[in-house]
Amino acid sequence: MFFHNFKYTFKILFKNKSLIFWTFAFPIILGTLFYFAFSDIEKKEQFDRIQIAIIENELPNEIWNQALKELSEEGENQILQLQYTNIEQANKLLEEEKISGILILDSEQKLIVKKNGINETILKFAIEEIKQTETMLKNIIHSITYESQIQDTKNSINMTIQKILQMKTESMNNIKDVSVNNMSYTMIEYYTLIAMTCLYGGLLSMIAIQKNLANMGSVGKRSATSPTTKKTMILSSLLSSYLIQLIGIILLFLYTIFVLNVDYGNHFSFVVLLTLVGCFAGLSLGIFLASTLKSSENSKTGILLAITMFGCFLSGMMGITMKYVVDKNIPFINRINPANLITDGFYALYYYDTQTRFYHNVIGLLLISCFLIFISILFLRRQTYDNL
Amino acid sequence: MTIFKTFLKVLNKNKGIVILYSAILIFFAAFSLQNNDNSMQFEKEKPSIAIRNRDQEEGFTKEFITYLKENSEVIELEDKEEAYLDALFYRNVNTIITIPEQFGENFVAQNNPEIEVKGTNSYESELTNLMIERYLKVAKIYFTISPSEENFQKIKETVEEEIKLEMTSKLNTNELKKMATYYNFANYSILAGCVYVICLILSSFKNEKIKKRTIISSVNEIKYNRILLMGNFLFAIVLWLFYCLISIVLIGNIMFTKQGIGCILNSLLFTLCAVTLSFLISNLIQNKNAINGIVNVIALGSSFLCGAFVPTELLPEMVQKVAHLLPSYYFINNNEKITSLENWNWEHLSPILLNTIILLFFSCLFVIITNYLTKKRRKQT
Repeated sequence: MFFHNFKYTFKILFKNKSLIFWTFAFPIILGTLFYFAFSDIEKKEQFDRIQIAIIENELPNEIWNQALKELSEEGENQILQLQYTNIEQANKLLEEEKISGILILDSEQKLIVKKNGINETILKFAIEEIKQTETMLKNIIHSITYESQIQDTKNSINMTIQKILQMKTESMNNIKDVSVNNMSYTMIEYYTLIAMTCLYGGLLSMIAIQKNLANMGSVGKRSATSPTTKKTMILSSLLSSYLIQLIGIILLFLYTIFVLNVDYGNHFSFVVLLTLVGCFAGLSLGIFLASTLKSSENSKTGILLAITMFGCFLSGMMGITMKYVVDKNIPFINRINPANLITDGFYALYYYDTQTRFYHNVIGLLLISCFLIFISILFLRRQTYDNL
Repeated sequence: MTIFKTFLKVLNKNKGIVILYSAILIFFAAFSLQNNDNSMQFEKEKPSIAIRNRDQEEGFTKEFITYLKENSEVIELEDKEEAYLDALFYRNVNTIITIPEQFGENFVAQNNPEIEVKGTNSYESELTNLMIERYLKVAKIYFTISPSEENFQKIKETVEEEIKLEMTSKLNTNELKKMATYYNFANYSILAGCVYVICLILSSFKNEKIKKRTIISSVNEIKYNRILLMGNFLFAIVLWLFYCLISIVLIGNIMFTKQGIGCILNSLLFTLCAVTLSFLISNLIQNKNAINGIVNVIALGSSFLCGAFVPTELLPEMVQKVAHLLPSYYFINNNEKITSLENWNWEHLSPILLNTIILLFFSCLFVIITNYLTKKRRKQT
């Protein structure tokens, strides 16, 4: 009887178009949309050379020319891309936003930009550095002339200038850059997608349980009067819904890994573990809603979709900042939010070298699931009817 | 009038879900606006950094930290490895600077101590690197030439040297960007609101008995559609009005400038287009259960593809090309153009006008297709 019910529940669930849309098709559609929207975002946010027009009204100043040349020299450290032109042409380019600024090299240097922005800030910063070098040279020359009483002041100044300019061009060995590459925050979006799919899987277990409840429909009534024990009916129904859930999530994984190039870190076995536990959390949420609420199937579906979407919202689906804000200010909320525990588990695998955080998430999910199932059992057990 | 009254009756019957759904959508828009301050859409002039100082805050280290504080936004975090790493990943800070023990002392003594930087490889972290490098270079030069305490003042003077700056645009770009973000989000809120509510209400008119009674009545299908469309407009206008009112509360007086009025009118035009599109969709779908799925696919799909959530310039080129086929693209493009409009002359206004005409064209197209479909279906029935 176990297998019989398992088989037919499997068939019934698979033939429910609306269920299959939410658990199979919708995550794939949403993942594709994420891919369209986010695939270039980080690339375009990376630092690119800043276009600038230079207008020389005076005889060239050696320090400025030298410095501009260095800043625009092709290679890894290139910051600026220069074009020497006249003011009319430069204004036109600035208006069309083809350049970020115009540098006028007059007796006093002036920078013209169109608006506030990070490009303009970097530009201002780079140009100011040249001006500062000039000031520094003046300061040092002044102190040398003031301090040295010897005849050879001119030679000393020349040597110092050479030394300073050389030090300016040398790369700094006081800064150690320890930045890492696994910083792609758009991954969080895909992790919330997996979380959403795991929890949407609750729809399957909800419908599966629903059909065994005598107070929820004629199928439930017939099941209740059958000689098969309730335990067999419910367990076989849940097993088939869990199986369908896993099929859906495997399809989503294959799609995100091979088509959308999502990076789940290097710990495949942990990813599998988290997925199994995540689906179990979805399953328990479905059982919980099916057994505790007495409303219609449609409203239960609505409630489950709303809970899942709200959980995903808090775990960063509609903007990753949300997850950080909640994690930082009201961490309790995200510790009992299954969508966040799943998302955070994947995040921990992707970003952290250790597994402590990952295990915390898995244990959290298991505790929540067991709690929900325990409550559901209290509602489901010993339901007897005098008549149906 | 009977049709219009029935429409209002059904709307009234479903008012709970309609109000709830509309409120959630408007809340999302408002929230996305508040949240954006910290995310990828706005470019800050000062990079946000976190400093982990293991040295005493005195002497050179103190000077260095003061310089960093003046030139960047220093975010205070709990002194835990995890807190720093999370803040970096979620871009709350763009660089973590770790100053080692006895850094100041060793630097002044020219022992080449190293500070550690961990960044996000973005513009902001690049700017922070430039900033640190500049300060340390200037300091190093001063200390190499003459190692004395007086250098602190000289370093300060040198790094504080500024260039004369002129800004050509008189527009309040930050506020206008906020406005564009909010109204771009309208693509999702208004479209999802219209499709959901209109499909929900019109599904009541699809009941077979009602449908048959309507067919045998004397009202022709075009008039019938027109009255229903009017009813739909009534709901959509209320939704739009709320959306605009909230923009005035959240964005402020800038909504009363030319750009603000432009965005409001543009969103009205889009609402018109959204209603006609929803009307068409409601005619296409037969199953009430499919509404939720269709709303999500259409509203989320067009919002992601056309740049309602992510600025259009950050979308891949192929996606931008495909987006040209959807009305949302022209609405969002108009928002961007209106909010960056400084010279109100023909050269700058003509692209906005063209987008407006395209939006109107889409609306007419949707109405024509709907009328054609209804006529065809009636004949079949």
